[in-house]
Amino acid sequence: MDFTSNFIVQLINGIALGSTYALIALGYTMVYGIIMLINFAHGEIYMVGAFVGLALVTIFKVHIIIAFLGAMLFCMLMAVSIEIIAYRPLRRSKRLAALISAIGISIILSNLVNLLVGPKPQTFPSIEKILFEIKSFDLIAGAQINTLQILLIIVSAILMIGLQYIVKRTKVGKAMRATSQDYDTAALMGINVNRIISYTFAIGSALAGAGGVLVGIYFGVVKYNMGMLPGMKAFTAAVLGGIGSIPGAMFGGIILGVIEMMTVAIGFSSYRDAIAFGILILVLLIKPTGLFGKQIFKKV
Amino acid sequence: MIKSRKIFWVLSILLILSLTLVGCGGQKEEPAPKEEVKKEAKAPAALKIGFLGDLTGDTAMYGQNTLDGMKMAVEDINAAGGVLGSNFEIVEADHRYDKAEAANIVQKFVNSDKVIAVIGDPTTGITKATAPIINQGSVVQISAGATGPGVVEIGPFIFRNTLLDTVGGPTTMDYLVNELGWKKVALITAVNNDFSVGLSKIFKEGILNNGGEVVIEESVQDGDTDFSGQVSNIKKSGAEVIVFSGYYTEGGLIMKEVRKQGMNEIIMVGGDGLQAPTFWELGGSAVEGSVSYAGFSPEQPTPEVEKFIERFKAKYGKAPDLFHAQGYDAVMLVAEAIKNANSADPKVFKDALAKIQDYPGVSGNTSFDANREPIKSPVYLLQVKDGNWSLLKKVPVKK
Amino acid sequence: MTLLNGLLPPYIESIAITVGIYIIMALGLNLITGVTGQLSLGHAAYMSIGAYASAVVSLQLGMPFIFALLAGGIAAGFFGLIIGYPTLRLTGDYLAIATLGFGEIVKSLLFNMPIVGGAMGLAGIPFKSTLTVTLIVVIIVIWMMVRVERSRFGRALLAIREDDIAAECYGINTSLYKVKMFVLGTFIAGIGGALWAHKIMVLQPRDFGFMKSIEILNMVVLGGLGSIPGTVLGAIVLTSIPEVLRFSSDYRMLLYGALLVIMMRFRPNGLLGGVDVTKLVKKSIKSITGSNFADKEKKKVKGGN
Repeated sequence: MDFTSNFIVQLINGIALGSTYALIALGYTMVYGIIMLINFAHGEIYMVGAFVGLALVTIFKVHIIIAFLGAMLFCMLMAVSIEIIAYRPLRRSKRLAALISAIGISIILSNLVNLLVGPKPQTFPSIEKILFEIKSFDLIAGAQINTLQILLIIVSAILMIGLQYIVKRTKVGKAMRATSQDYDTAALMGINVNRIISYTFAIGSALAGAGGVLVGIYFGVVKYNMGMLPGMKAFTAAVLGGIGSIPGAMFGGIILGVIEMMTVAIGFSSYRDAIAFGILILVLLIKPTGLFGKQIFKKV
Repeated sequence: MIKSRKIFWVLSILLILSLTLVGCGGQKEEPAPKEEVKKEAKAPAALKIGFLGDLTGDTAMYGQNTLDGMKMAVEDINAAGGVLGSNFEIVEADHRYDKAEAANIVQKFVNSDKVIAVIGDPTTGITKATAPIINQGSVVQISAGATGPGVVEIGPFIFRNTLLDTVGGPTTMDYLVNELGWKKVALITAVNNDFSVGLSKIFKEGILNNGGEVVIEESVQDGDTDFSGQVSNIKKSGAEVIVFSGYYTEGGLIMKEVRKQGMNEIIMVGGDGLQAPTFWELGGSAVEGSVSYAGFSPEQPTPEVEKFIERFKAKYGKAPDLFHAQGYDAVMLVAEAIKNANSADPKVFKDALAKIQDYPGVSGNTSFDANREPIKSPVYLLQVKDGNWSLLKKVPVKK
Repeated sequence: MTLLNGLLPPYIESIAITVGIYIIMALGLNLITGVTGQLSLGHAAYMSIGAYASAVVSLQLGMPFIFALLAGGIAAGFFGLIIGYPTLRLTGDYLAIATLGFGEIVKSLLFNMPIVGGAMGLAGIPFKSTLTVTLIVVIIVIWMMVRVERSRFGRALLAIREDDIAAECYGINTSLYKVKMFVLGTFIAGIGGALWAHKIMVLQPRDFGFMKSIEILNMVVLGGLGSIPGTVLGAIVLTSIPEVLRFSSDYRMLLYGALLVIMMRFRPNGLLGGVDVTKLVKKSIKSITGSNFADKEKKKVKGGN
């Protein structure tokens, strides 16, 4: 009994953590799917989103939901401008050039926030004062889930379903899928490729911004270097799920979160990263395109 | 052929450019000593103190705070007319937590800037990487924060101003097991933080020596924000108290997670790494009742400490933390040693520094023992009450 | 032997040694990422293996530095073989993420290994990487790289980078070549790590994080993928820039980031990329001699310093 209850608790912990990875991973996977770029600055966009949310709540005293939307909007605009300044001129160059440009942007963003806010971790106002009280609910076998975890999981789920709707049911989504399948043909078919790429960046970054605010609420802290590690984990999650695949990124994120928590649960908390990445490498060796990725045959 | 000529031109231009860039970096430093010599003939030049720390990397928080503390100390010294008629001046350098850069910086400090003392680094690792160079250059180094083993052994110029783990750790564990009566302990270590790893060893020994039991050991990492898995394990283990050896950021967040998971009674006991307002800013009501040790007590402050806290708040608009206080004291100790030795030559005042006894610093009453290790006596056990530290117990330390 | 040591001001000498070590690291990565086109994001892991192995040889066995250097290289090369053999089947960015994962695993294991001090690391490593020693190793590594590039092996590697399927069709055993070059690249990273250990004198797992791998990658890409003089230049520029920018400690890293973006914006193929090797090879085999000619000139320029 004790074992099942602990298992369920850790599973919930893992899903909650995994949801945050998934929200960031979606941005990686969308951008990668469309222009084959590992957007290293994406983790920092998530960080900036958290800070914008914090500033809106504490300085401008707006409601948390407006802050949430504000952070999403800000990240959208920022990512679109970054794309135009730093990536668009490099689209026809070697892919690594854009990668280095992305690394440069990432360094600029984290140092800019460090300069403006300082290296001290900033406290995100407690959710109890803004929205509702934290309560715990009993699940089966004595396991508990709290309202924060429910909030995190539900909001992530809503965002992901919304994304799925945009990609599968709207015209923009159709154009995105076409562009990611074949860039040149899509352009020939009259799709404004530049605009579609901007949309992709905007949507992916809005999700990252949302993730930043959610994580701020969930953990209660935002820091200038908070984008680095989750960014790396989220990218890993995207690859685990099969980079370029949207459901892949969602499940990849959640699977990674659950693996980490299970490692902690069995008492190997100090090997958390080693085991998570070890499993990643194993998955890649067995299924080189990730869990949900399609095999792409290269033409000569 | 045209192409290779093009390569040649681009190559040589860029090589020359990069070399001049490096050269500029060097040249800019070199004329400085000459000017100094000229100045010395007229009025005494400012005494330079090098700040070695991280301002942009992962440990930027500690570096930035040390620097703020140092700046205030230098202001105070200069306002009082300086030392031996000379003002103090801080030479800053950021190493972004990179040992290779730190090594370059101290070469610059010692050989180009001609500093008389280097304050830093707050971490043991970088202190150990830079100390051999500083010692060889006959400049005094005071690390405000390095608590690990093997620091002052590097040479006679190397000091540290910090409360040693071996002093505070056992005292706290004795109190925890024998006076608070908690026998079942959950021990959390930040595995990527050498301070935490070292302190955990001492904590564990202390718990076992006093007849306590470590029912569960968990690891976290500095920089983590998610501790739900570890806390769930602790909840299951039936521990009566959480002992955490890391820093305040993770400490505050761990306690928050503890309360979130419905453990409303358990408290955290930790080292002086918890000594910062950030601890309760992040943890809020969750850290109420938490215990840690320190070299000073905000509740029964010495006049020096009280004045320091007041003026610090006026200047920076926030309460000082451990690194602010240690950075402040490190500069003050250098000034004190120079005064005592009546010389600003590191070769001379290092001996005076080693002889300092019962200096009433803001980070504690400081003495240096025969091995140049700092002793802060008494040690205070403090508890968080209403978002501040309140005094629990005062323990004198044998010298 | 010790002719060069002490000739420069100590601050400059210290920077010069650091530059030398980064040149070695970057040349090793250039072989993997630049010449053969396999993106590796875990180069610092091999550096750390070399550094720790050499430190153990120096501290525990007290052997001469040359053995420590070789031990570092061999240890890193050995892990390069173990990791490279299975993972090099992966293509493109999957390989990148596998190498990134390996880097994190190595760091995590080092944190948990009491023999090498865990988070506290190893201290008291003797200072051996003088300017002379570093320079000699740099010259040997550059010479090796030039030899590799000129050989049949090097031509096969370039063919793999340009199009590995076509290369396979021409009878090149791509996996074998990829593994061979990966082992050589990691061996060189290990040598670089050994030099690092004997310059910094203290090792901690934290020193070899993901950002260190990225820094080395920046040097290779900024200099010009696949170009030996380019990589050397990239390492020189990117190691000295943080020192040059030291006058503004607040804006230093900000400027560093901006510089990466601007340089890529105006020279997307790297400082020396596109000027030589890359473009020329595409056209004809003849041009390889041309690029090697450039290397000779490069050496002359270097000799002049």
